[in-house]
Amino acid sequence: MLRYVTRRILMLIGIIFIISIGSFYLIHLLPGNITVVIEGPGASPANQAKLFKLLGLNKPIYVQYFVWIKNVLSGNLGTSFISQTSVVSTIRAAFPIDLEIMVLSQVLAFAAAIPLAMRSARKPDGPLDRVLSAGSFTLLSVPPFVIIVLMVLYFAIKLAIPNIGPSSYVSFSQDWITNLESLSLPAITLAIGSFVLYFRVLRSDLIATLQEEFITMARSKGISQRRIMWRHAFRPSSVALLGAAGINIGGLLAGGFVVQYLLSIPGLGYTLISAINQSDYLLVQGIVLVVAVGVVLINFTFDFIINLVDPRISRE
Amino acid sequence: MSNESEKLLIVNNLATTFSTAGGPLPAVSGVSFEMLRNETIGIVGESGSGKTVLSRTIMGLQPRTNVVVTGSVLLNGNEMVGASEDFKRGLWGTEVAMVFQDPMTSLNPVMRIGKQIDESLRVRLGMSKVDAKARAIELLELVGIPSPAHRYSAYPGQLSGGMRQRVVIAIALACSPKLLMADEPTTGLDVTIQAQILNLLDELKERLHMSVVLVTHDLGVVATRTSRIIVMYAGRIVEIGDTRDVFHHHRMPYTRALLESSPKVSNASHTRLTTIPGRPPNLLKLSDGCSFAPRCSYATDRCHNERPELQPADEPAHSFACWNPLPTTRGASA
Amino acid sequence: MSNAFSMESAGELALTEEILHIEKPEKREPLGIFFWICVGWIALNIIGAIFANVLPLQNPLYQDYGAINTAPSLHHIFGTDDIGRDIFARVVYGSRISITVGAGAMLIGFGLGAPLGMLAAYRRGRFDLILSTIMYIFLAFPAIIATIAVLSFWTPRTLLKIIVVIGLASVPLVYRVIRTATLSVATKDYIIAAKVQGATDRRILLKELLPNIAPIGISFLLIGIATVVVLEGSLAFLGLSVNPPTPSWGNMINEARTVLAQNPWLVIFPSLAMCLFLLSLNFIGDRLRNHFDVTEVKL
Repeated sequence: MLRYVTRRILMLIGIIFIISIGSFYLIHLLPGNITVVIEGPGASPANQAKLFKLLGLNKPIYVQYFVWIKNVLSGNLGTSFISQTSVVSTIRAAFPIDLEIMVLSQVLAFAAAIPLAMRSARKPDGPLDRVLSAGSFTLLSVPPFVIIVLMVLYFAIKLAIPNIGPSSYVSFSQDWITNLESLSLPAITLAIGSFVLYFRVLRSDLIATLQEEFITMARSKGISQRRIMWRHAFRPSSVALLGAAGINIGGLLAGGFVVQYLLSIPGLGYTLISAINQSDYLLVQGIVLVVAVGVVLINFTFDFIINLVDPRISRE
Repeated sequence: MSNESEKLLIVNNLATTFSTAGGPLPAVSGVSFEMLRNETIGIVGESGSGKTVLSRTIMGLQPRTNVVVTGSVLLNGNEMVGASEDFKRGLWGTEVAMVFQDPMTSLNPVMRIGKQIDESLRVRLGMSKVDAKARAIELLELVGIPSPAHRYSAYPGQLSGGMRQRVVIAIALACSPKLLMADEPTTGLDVTIQAQILNLLDELKERLHMSVVLVTHDLGVVATRTSRIIVMYAGRIVEIGDTRDVFHHHRMPYTRALLESSPKVSNASHTRLTTIPGRPPNLLKLSDGCSFAPRCSYATDRCHNERPELQPADEPAHSFACWNPLPTTRGASA
Repeated sequence: MSNAFSMESAGELALTEEILHIEKPEKREPLGIFFWICVGWIALNIIGAIFANVLPLQNPLYQDYGAINTAPSLHHIFGTDDIGRDIFARVVYGSRISITVGAGAMLIGFGLGAPLGMLAAYRRGRFDLILSTIMYIFLAFPAIIATIAVLSFWTPRTLLKIIVVIGLASVPLVYRVIRTATLSVATKDYIIAAKVQGATDRRILLKELLPNIAPIGISFLLIGIATVVVLEGSLAFLGLSVNPPTPSWGNMINEARTVLAQNPWLVIFPSLAMCLFLLSLNFIGDRLRNHFDVTEVKL
């Protein structure tokens, strides 16, 4: 176990190192004079000189990296030359919204996927299983941006339900009921995608687990089907589910971009797309770095949880 | 031979048929026998003879789908055939329990062994958490696990095969069943451990006043531990009788073939074991005749075309199914 | 052990399992009629994309100010958009971007990922270890963030850049699938036998391994194309793919979002076209995988 964890942590450090190099290098993909591109043609020479110094552009590229990473580690991702606010504070304001959408969507997805997968797995190829399997397969082919547009079209426009359409976001502290309403469509959209994935993974693993000898053994003890499902079948079947969840939740941060963009919800995704459209490159760079590291950390956490759930893995 | 209340188990014309892609598969057919309280019975046969399916059907533990069971199993007066899962659940653990074949797959790999024993006690007997734990540790001690309090929180993967099988036995014993079905309880274990486990089962049977059905392919296992033996072939009983009679006065050529293929201590070293030619039959394509006929050196046309029913032998309670039985060896030494 | 013939436990167990697990079909699953409908649909889409300018379609860029936001009619069977362009023509032309990006990116992904994956699984050793570690690291962060990041800085955005970026981002995934598939074949006896008989590496890789992993590869290729189409669609929806007025399914949906209330057809038709295309690809891929019984390789 200890060896396994050490190895994973070394891997994690390697991954974050590579992400940092990638994020750092992004700026150098910009065509032409970097300071002019970042600050726009109307920038004052003084500001340009300040940025030039911040990025260390006169030095060799590996020195530039160290200058940059030193700033990043001390919490300085630069200042947006458009809003004149620091990138870190912008990210700090936006991130809780992503977190809220993610938590809501995952609660919905798991609450639907786990019991339905159990019902399906109890009678594979039964009527319920056929309907759910075919339905989830179909939903697999509906991208999130299509789901959200169609939901807005139907619920916000056709049915005219208030507070759920575009630009209706208010912060949680301001009015939590309206806040939840305004985040309901994004949460449901992301929940649908996650549900499809979780349902399919858990169903197929449960079907396999239910054929194991230890399930017959549990049955022979005279305990209820419900208990067999939850206590005996669920945990050994949840490894792939957790793996899928780890990767999916990472991807959700990115999938959130689309729903935030459509509904103008000022999370990281919306902020990122606005920053791209306004050529606010330092903000883009900062968000990319934070999101990428966040995704990797989530994956790592899930790997770790999987080990706790199934002690066989690290022993192998 | 004895009054009804002494009979723990009455199996009558039991048949288990699986529906498969290749058609109905009769895994067990026409099985009838009775069992007394505190008796140990051996069910013996090759791979695919239906003995595992038979033991599970007796318990009502066959798969819930794609299977048809007919006939009757009266377990302590309870009809198991056609009973609902809820009804059977009330009997499992307390009336009848099973020791499974392979301790590597029959324990939940991600559940501490103590919890696996606890579970029956708490759910079936309604014990409190503390009592259940204390009792589980007692059970672990009973089946001979050293430092049971410490092992209580081990995962199956941390135990050897022999230890795991002891845990499986402890789980089966948790609710003091009247009948213990032991399905090849030692097959997955090293030879040295096999005897230990079998002796443990014997000892527990005496102490806890249980009846035991010992399912095995190994005649050596049942020779000294059972009072009666059922020999199965292709899903049917081909010979049944007191252990002594089956060993010494068997009439069915298959029984003899089985005996000759088992190593005996009395044999000189390097004695060649006889093997049974051919393979067990495909249950999807059974002939109308005796299923053993294709492998039997005594087989006649009749054997290939007409199935022999069980008929009584000279000894009481001894029957066999064969058109050309071996000559009776009564009086001669075996 | 104690018996010298066929009564060993493994045999008994195998038969028990055979009996108890009869739900598993033993024969190859038939492809079914729906499979061929899906194949036909994909073929129709490809033909439409290739021959869009030859087919009797209206000009997808022509703005008919006399017919703005009209519902489907005989003249415009899918209706018109907010500046009077024919939606049907735009949906057909729009498939070009999706199909080009999907095929192009997978060409790059498979062109690099597949040979590397096969080699790594065949050679094993240090080559495999180093390559797999690198790929694992790149696999760790989602392709969509990487592509958004690169495409937002690497301006101006062209179709080629989009294909290259998505293609490169897919390499680690293709690598992993092909490596796993090859590993499961490379350890089989007949491959070892071929090695012992002195067959060249090149021969084993091309004649023995390739045909065996091809079904998995093709199945994953189709699902991969579907994934890329979604990714390109998301980028287009965010305004990060090719620029209007060139129609693509993604940017049509993006443009439609501002006039959702006035003209729902504008979002429904491109969405439908995209979903049916994806469904067909996924279904074909899934069926092929079941048909060749390669479910043990996680895709």
